[in-house]
Amino acid sequence: MGDLIAVGLSHHTAPVEVRERMAMSEEAVRDRLERLRLEGAAEEAFIVSTCNRVEVYAVAQNIGLIEAWLGEHRGPGGEPIDRYLYWYRNEEAVKHLFRVASSLDSLVVGEPQILGQVKDAVRLAEESRSLGRVLGRLTRQTLSVAKRVRTETRIGEARVGVGNAGVDLALQIFGRLDDKRALLVGVGEMGQQVARAMVGAGLKELIVANRTYERSVECASEFGGTPIAWDRMIEYLGQVDVVITATGATKPIIQPDDVRRALRVRRYRPLFLVDLAVPRNIAPGVDDIDEAFLFNVDDLTHVMEQGKREREKAAAEADALVADEANRFMARLAEVEVGEHIGAITRRAETIRLEEIERTAKVLEQLDPKQRQAVEAMTKAMVKKLLHGQITHLRNAAREGDAEVIETLLKPWREDRG
Amino acid sequence: MERIPYIAVLVVYAVVLLAHLLPSAVPAGLRERVRLVAGVGALLHLATLAEEAVFSTWSPGLPEALSACSLGVMTAYFFVAHGQQRALGILLAPLAMVALGTALVVPHATVSALDQTDGLNVWLPIHLALLFAGVAGFALSSAVGVLYLYVRDALKKKRFDRIGRLPSLESLDRIQFRSMLFGFIALTLGIGAGGALATASFQESWALDPKVLYTLAVWFWYFVALQARLILGRRGRWTANFSIVGFGAMVFSLIGLNFILASWHSYG
Repeated sequence: MGDLIAVGLSHHTAPVEVRERMAMSEEAVRDRLERLRLEGAAEEAFIVSTCNRVEVYAVAQNIGLIEAWLGEHRGPGGEPIDRYLYWYRNEEAVKHLFRVASSLDSLVVGEPQILGQVKDAVRLAEESRSLGRVLGRLTRQTLSVAKRVRTETRIGEARVGVGNAGVDLALQIFGRLDDKRALLVGVGEMGQQVARAMVGAGLKELIVANRTYERSVECASEFGGTPIAWDRMIEYLGQVDVVITATGATKPIIQPDDVRRALRVRRYRPLFLVDLAVPRNIAPGVDDIDEAFLFNVDDLTHVMEQGKREREKAAAEADALVADEANRFMARLAEVEVGEHIGAITRRAETIRLEEIERTAKVLEQLDPKQRQAVEAMTKAMVKKLLHGQITHLRNAAREGDAEVIETLLKPWREDRG
Repeated sequence: MERIPYIAVLVVYAVVLLAHLLPSAVPAGLRERVRLVAGVGALLHLATLAEEAVFSTWSPGLPEALSACSLGVMTAYFFVAHGQQRALGILLAPLAMVALGTALVVPHATVSALDQTDGLNVWLPIHLALLFAGVAGFALSSAVGVLYLYVRDALKKKRFDRIGRLPSLESLDRIQFRSMLFGFIALTLGIGAGGALATASFQESWALDPKVLYTLAVWFWYFVALQARLILGRRGRWTANFSIVGFGAMVFSLIGLNFILASWHSYG
């Protein structure tokens, strides 16, 4: 078997101008896979091509042809592409693929799309019949590792930004947003960020109130929301589930009594208030009210910091898991490969034994059947005992991934065949 | 009580607890099917209870009451523990285990009124089944109430690190309300079935029995909690507090009261 290699470029190594030159359509991927096989560049191959990465995974005796193909590409300034490329071999290549599919190598770590893109790449390769014994096994294992990472670590829950911190808090209170209405008070940048994230998370309706009505209309149209007049803002508190404030007011514009009244109207369903303004727009006393949950900009920062810590922790756990899986995959692969060699060795030994029996056929003919059987059993036992030590060493070396010992043990048999 | 099947049930419940408490100590296959494991345990539990009731000279007392509570709690867990409801498992599995474990060690004492009851009276199993279904509803409601107060407190104190993967406030509130409503309906029907049982079996008046009066007080407590919610809209913390106190009173009624007061329901 040739080496398992991974070569490619990603957002880590190449700017968008380079990535877009390398990006391949499904058709181009099919075409390339076919050519790699026909030209003998790779025994097996598959290609992952997304807007953030183009990677070729291949089993190849000689990487020269793959290098030559990549060498045809140039950067935007005519520079050779190889300065943007990374190469991984065997266990490192396996680990890299596991990391990519588990979204540990993504621009936004934990984003779920990449697994679908890897699945597409596998499907294309299957259709092009370019997956074999090694990559077939590897791609199956990759999907299972990605699933393990997603279920056993919290990598998929990690999100960034003040808007998502607001969404996370809202979800902790409400569980879902698609039946919730929010009131955005003021159209400051931070307020819009939180509103945008909530709309993105499926918010049912956004109502916008701003001192200048025209700006409410403008902002509401951007989010598909409803603008209201500034003086109706307090009245609306009872009709929404989320209140986001971000005005430049120097004194609180929402008082505890306003919230108490709103809660009575809401029959005490919880009201989630996010105050992003400094100085604050919502009087701090609001948080003492039973069903009002008030958070200010510092609280959102804490949520983000905690999210970051959790993301780092989850990524470290996921990395350890991936490294362990990669190691086990290589060991299994070596065991399978050695298993095939052991099969060949056993068959060869049996052929030799039969040849020797054949050679002494004349002498053996003089023996009675019982004696012949004894000779047969004896030769079999000899062969078995002679091979036993070697086979055990081969298996152990495969388990430990010791390629050198494997090679030494196989050498006499290869020469014998040669 | 037959000990061996109950010990087997206890072991199954312990596995459910372990799968929630120390997920890494349990094989992944088992961890993913923990709800199913709980269901199998509850079925075995039900079968043992039913087998005792049908095939042996059954005289229900404190151990049977505790065992039925345990079964109710585990059944409640089975019906609500969708997905990763780890916190619910950590709260309910020990409750079920403590109830069943206590049932195995307390001395057997029969409910005194049963001496006068016609063993074939159809109202007896209906009365018991409804009451213990009610207890299960209230147990779930109070366990979820504890969780609700915990998550609410963490949110109010901005201790986001304490929340982890706990469910949202609204979903906890929904579960605590629905299970309280279920418990209330079962309790109401159970009291009615008890009345029918007493009317059919006993000569004396049953309405002034201290346990009956106490249970009616508990019923009224839940009635107030539900009215506050349905009419005034008081939910969340209110429902949780009512639920926790109500379940405490219910447990006291089941275990303590029967020993303290001379009543038709007393043990022995």
